Amino acid sequence: MTEPFLVARNIAKRFGALTALANVDLEIRSGEVLALLGDNGAGKSTFIKILAGAHPPSDGELVIEGSPVAFSSPKDAASSGIATIFQELALSENLSIAENVFLGRELKRSILGIPFLKRKEMRQRVDGLLKELDAHISDPEAPVGSLSGGQRQAVAICRALNLNARLVIMDEPTAALAVAETRKVLALTRRLAARGCAVVLISHNISEVFEVADRIVVFRRGRKVAERLAAETNHEEVVSLITGAHPDVRALEKPN
Amino acid sequence: MYAVRQFGNGIFSMNGREWSLLVACLLAIILFSVVSPHYATSGNAATVLRNSVELLLIGLGMTLLLAMGGIDVSIGIVMGLAAIAIGRVLGAGGNPLLALVAGPMVGALLGCVTATVVVLGRVPAIVGTLGLLGVYRTAVFVLLGGQWLSGLPSSLTNLLATTVLGVPVPALVIAIAYLAVWLALRRTPYGLHLLAIGNSEEKARLSGIPVIKTRFMTFVISCVLTGIAATFYVATYRNVEMTIGSTLALDAIAAVILGGTSILGGRCSLIGTVLGVLLLRILQNGLLLIGVPSLWQPVVTGILIIGVLGFEAVSNRFPLVQLLRARA
Repeated sequence: MTEPFLVARNIAKRFGALTALANVDLEIRSGEVLALLGDNGAGKSTFIKILAGAHPPSDGELVIEGSPVAFSSPKDAASSGIATIFQELALSENLSIAENVFLGRELKRSILGIPFLKRKEMRQRVDGLLKELDAHISDPEAPVGSLSGGQRQAVAICRALNLNARLVIMDEPTAALAVAETRKVLALTRRLAARGCAVVLISHNISEVFEVADRIVVFRRGRKVAERLAAETNHEEVVSLITGAHPDVRALEKPN
Repeated sequence: MYAVRQFGNGIFSMNGREWSLLVACLLAIILFSVVSPHYATSGNAATVLRNSVELLLIGLGMTLLLAMGGIDVSIGIVMGLAAIAIGRVLGAGGNPLLALVAGPMVGALLGCVTATVVVLGRVPAIVGTLGLLGVYRTAVFVLLGGQWLSGLPSSLTNLLATTVLGVPVPALVIAIAYLAVWLALRRTPYGLHLLAIGNSEEKARLSGIPVIKTRFMTFVISCVLTGIAATFYVATYRNVEMTIGSTLALDAIAAVILGGTSILGGRCSLIGTVLGVLLLRILQNGLLLIGVPSLWQPVVTGILIIGVLGFEAVSNRFPLVQLLRARA
């Protein structure tokens, strides 16, 4: 097996006396969809915020392709190739798809010292990305406000790809979507991995996770309690891991 | 709400709103011509256009501000302060070229003050500029010392009342300003950033947009345009009175909103602003000619603002109107 894109070693996060996360070891591989599961407050969100550079870890280290990294802001994480698609997508509804994909990193040419947008090139790049993702959006000039929830997810994914993200973190991408839309976003997630991206998916929907994930990691009370290959586990086992009914988790949580 | 027609980014693209403004202008002209024999003269047409010069320049800046979710209610008095500076230069027999740059320079300076308060100081724009309005107004009184600047030399007037290739200088300057603002808005990253901030400042920040820089620049640009407006004001009237600019902010906001720019930000129309300014000035001039005292002008402006925003609020509440609008 190839070297993982990112290795998290012994990651911990404390907020004052509260331990939100303890001793998390995790490997994230390129071309693989890794699902993080767990109840509310299990530590999934804290963990992805550390990956995204929004929180510094209290302990432990992150290693990207063999070299340790320390993020002090989301910008640092982005420049290491980590893009996070938050639940409340940071898209501007009044701007077009192409404008959103490039927002903050526009292609421009300088004429008399004034930066002018290369609108045509941006449109063509976005057109290509949309086709590649098979996103079924024909017009990159359409305003994002006119798109459905699933199409907006596709735009956010395009944005991540356009930033040359090597790891895309998706926080509950299907939470607010209708069934057909959910299918499309799940297909997009798979295609993202097929392109060689590492994908971390947070979800509450277990059947959805089984549909797209290669590996499943379960968090419970701030700890990673289990890691399974999706092909080697089943719905029932995962539920028992999340709720703590599984013998492995019981053994782990037994007071000693 | 986000119909594709908003993305008519052409330099003079018109949508339903703008066409109806144009029709409103024409209707007003026809109505006033019928009522007043003094109305439909070339002299009066020139007067209306002449009276629109300052408001057109200020309106372009106000369009950018509102599109960004900002506002500047001190803009009229900013023009007053710039006009005083120009008047002093002229009064002291200064070089007319110096008088020409005095307006934009004072505008830039005051724009930095406003931006420091509103952008760096994080005071909400409406409150911050209202506070500055009080400060600036007193500054106008103190600087004028209770007396008008009047009988200023005509050197600036001679410079700006000429034509270049048959085009009057004010028209030329407005055309250049319009082109520059349109290019900035629709063809540079700055314009995208401004509209993104107008849509949601928080999302703009998450997208990695330089929010502070963009907002700062926009307040300064608006004040520089106002400084240019002051230059035309002094050149035309050759005096600066105590009440200078007191209704300008109201007029500018009214014209911009009439033109279809959203008071909530994120959406704007430059050609709409131009038509809004013309409609406002046509109405003000026409009412004067049919015998309505000029005292009533701000009432008309106020009613226009309330009418437009009221209509938009109602049409957002009632699905039928929304549907009709979506079909438009």
